[in-house]
Amino acid sequence: MRLPTSARLSETTAERLRIAALLAPAVALIVLLFLGGLVSGLLRSLNYFPLIGLDTPNFDAYTAILSDREFLLSFWLTLYISLVSTILSTVLAVAAALLLRAALKGRRVVNVFFSLNLTIPHLVGAVGILYLISQSGLLARAAANLGMIDRPAEFPALVADPLAIGIILTYVWKEVPFIGVIALAILLSVGEDYESVAKSLGAKRWQAFRHVTLPLLAPGVASASFIVFAFTFGAFEIPWLLGRTYPSALPVLAFESYSDVDLGSRPKAMAMAMVIALLSALAIVGYTRLSRRFIRS
Amino acid sequence: MTNVTLSKLTKEFEGKPDPSVDHIDLEIESGKLTALLGPSGCGKTTTMRMIAGLLRPTSGDIKFDGKSIVSIAPERRGAVMVFQNYLLFPYMTIRENVSFGLKMRGVSKTETRQRVGEMLDLVQLPGLEDRMPKQLSGGQQQRVALARALIVQPKVLLLDEPLSNLDAHLRDEMRELIRRLQGELKITTIFVTHDQEEAAVLSDKIALILRGRLQHFGPPEEYFERPASVEIARFFGGVNFIPGAYDGSVIATSIGKFSAPRSSIASGAGVLTIRPEAVEIGGEGANSVPGRVVSHVYAGRYARFLIDVGGIRIEAVSDPKRVSQIADGDSISLRFDPNEIWVLAQPTEGDGVSLGASEGGNGSVASVSGDE
Repeated sequence: MRLPTSARLSETTAERLRIAALLAPAVALIVLLFLGGLVSGLLRSLNYFPLIGLDTPNFDAYTAILSDREFLLSFWLTLYISLVSTILSTVLAVAAALLLRAALKGRRVVNVFFSLNLTIPHLVGAVGILYLISQSGLLARAAANLGMIDRPAEFPALVADPLAIGIILTYVWKEVPFIGVIALAILLSVGEDYESVAKSLGAKRWQAFRHVTLPLLAPGVASASFIVFAFTFGAFEIPWLLGRTYPSALPVLAFESYSDVDLGSRPKAMAMAMVIALLSALAIVGYTRLSRRFIRS
Repeated sequence: MTNVTLSKLTKEFEGKPDPSVDHIDLEIESGKLTALLGPSGCGKTTTMRMIAGLLRPTSGDIKFDGKSIVSIAPERRGAVMVFQNYLLFPYMTIRENVSFGLKMRGVSKTETRQRVGEMLDLVQLPGLEDRMPKQLSGGQQQRVALARALIVQPKVLLLDEPLSNLDAHLRDEMRELIRRLQGELKITTIFVTHDQEEAAVLSDKIALILRGRLQHFGPPEEYFERPASVEIARFFGGVNFIPGAYDGSVIATSIGKFSAPRSSIASGAGVLTIRPEAVEIGGEGANSVPGRVVSHVYAGRYARFLIDVGGIRIEAVSDPKRVSQIADGDSISLRFDPNEIWVLAQPTEGDGVSLGASEGGNGSVASVSGDE
C-alpha cells in the first residue's frame, strides 16, 4: 500500500527530527568546544577583539607572519618533519604488515608486540627516545664504553639536530604500528586470492605486488597516512621536547608567541594556529575522500 | 593441447590427521573437459590449486605433456585458474581486467586493445570495456573472469565451481558458453564441482573424489548406469539398495529372486540397485514383487512413491498422473526390469558405507536418505 505523498513526507520529516534530537547533545558539545574555539581563534587572528576596542577585522597578523623569516623557516621545517615521518611510517608499516601476514607461526605474539606501543603516550615515547639517542643517552654511552667513540658527547647529535632526526624517529616509532595494524587488517580481509589470480595470469611476485596488492592496500593505508600527516603537523609536545629552539616547529612557535609577554603578538600566534588548522583540515579532507572510495570498493 | 597427468599426488596440511588429497592418479586427456566431482572438503579444490601452482604438493607429481611442472612457478605454468567468486580486480575497468595477463607479458597496447575486443565478443559482452566490475551482474562478471583467463591462451584452464554462484537460468547460459568455448578453443579444461548433474552435463569425463581419494574416473553415463560401488551409486542419486546372493544371473534377496544380467561382480554377496525412475509401478510378471504404498510426493513433473516391500522400502518415480490413481496404503505390484538392475559388491565394514538408514532388524532395508 502506498501512503499519500504528504503522509510519507511528514513521516520522513519526523524521522529526521528524531535523529537530529538524538544527535543534539554530541553536536552541541562539538560546536561549543571545537568550533567555538576555532571561531574565537579566527577572530583573534583577524585582530577582532571588541572588548579592548579592536572592532575592525584585518589581515595584519597574516601579512606579518608571512613576511617573518622565522615563521617561514618553521613552516618548512614542520612540513618536512610531517612529510618524512609520514612517508617513512607508511613504507615501513606496509612492509611490516606484509611480513606479518607471511609469518604463519607466532603471528599473534608478534602482533601484540607490534601494536603494544599504540598504548604508550607520545610524550612518554619522546622521553624514551631522548634517553636512548641523545648525546648523554644509552646508545652514546654504550658506544663510548665499547670504544667506538672517545666520549659520549662525540655521538652524532640526533636530538635537537637540524634534520630533526629525533622527532622523526619518535613519530615513526609511534605511527608505524598505527598504519601497520590497518594495513594488516586490510591484507587479512582481502586474502591472498587476488594475488593468486594475478600469478595464475602470469604476474611475477613483484608485478603481483605492484599491480594487485598495492592498489588494494592504497586507499585504506593512504587514509591512515593522511591522519598521521595531520597529527604530526599539529603536534606540539614532541618537537617541543626533541626539537631545536631555532627554527622550532610551527606548533611550538605558535605556543611561544601566544605565551609571549607582549600581548600584541597573540593575533600572530592565532594566525599560525589557523595555518596549522587549515593544513590539518586539508589532510582530513583527503582522508575522508579516500576512505569513502575505499568503503565503496 | 596439453594432457595433464597426476601421479600419486598427495597434500597433507599441518594439524590434519588425514591427507586432504591422497595419492591421486589421473590421466587427463588433451583438449577434453574433465570434472573433479565430490562433496565439499573432499580435496577437489586442493587438487586444482596444486595444478595451478598455488599450493605445493606434499608428494607426488604433476605433469603437463609428460614434463613435471611441480617446481615451476605458477606464472610460468600456463595453467590459469578462474575462481568461484570471479575475483575481478575491483579498481580496474573491464578492459584492464581482461588485459591484465597481456600487460604482465608486455604485449603492445594496440595488440592488447584488439585482443580484448575479440575476447569480449567471444564471451558475448561486447562494448563493456570501460565499465567497472561492480557495474556488472554476477553472470557478466563470471564471463569477464573467463575472458581474462582465456586471453593468455592457457595450456590448461582451471574452473573452480564455475556455475555455483549463478541463478538457475544464468547457469544454463554459462554451461552452454563453457561448452561452446571449450569446443572451439580445444583447451584442456578441468573444473571442480560438487553437483553431479552439473558434472554430467558439462564434462567428457568425471573424476569422483571422496575423502581425498579418487574413487572412479570415467564418462558420466558410467556413474548413472554402471556405478562401481554403493557409495558412488548413492552420490549419483541412487536410493534403492537390496542385499542378496548373486550367482551371475540371478540375485536372491529377502523379498524374492530377480533376474539380473548386468553386474559389477561375477558372483557372491551382492547388492541389487535400481534407479527410482526405472521401477515400474503396477508392472507384473517375472521380476515383480507385491508392495504397499507408504507415502508419496507430488512434484509437478513427476511423482515419487515410497513403497514397502516385505519390510524393505523402495522408492519409485513415475508419471505425476499416477497420483490420482494410487492412494497411500494401496497394495500394488512393482516390476524391476532385468536390464535396469545393476548388481554391486556389498560394501565391507572398512568402507564406512552402510546400505540404509534403518539397519539391524531383519537384515537391511533400502534407504531413502541421501536423496536431494
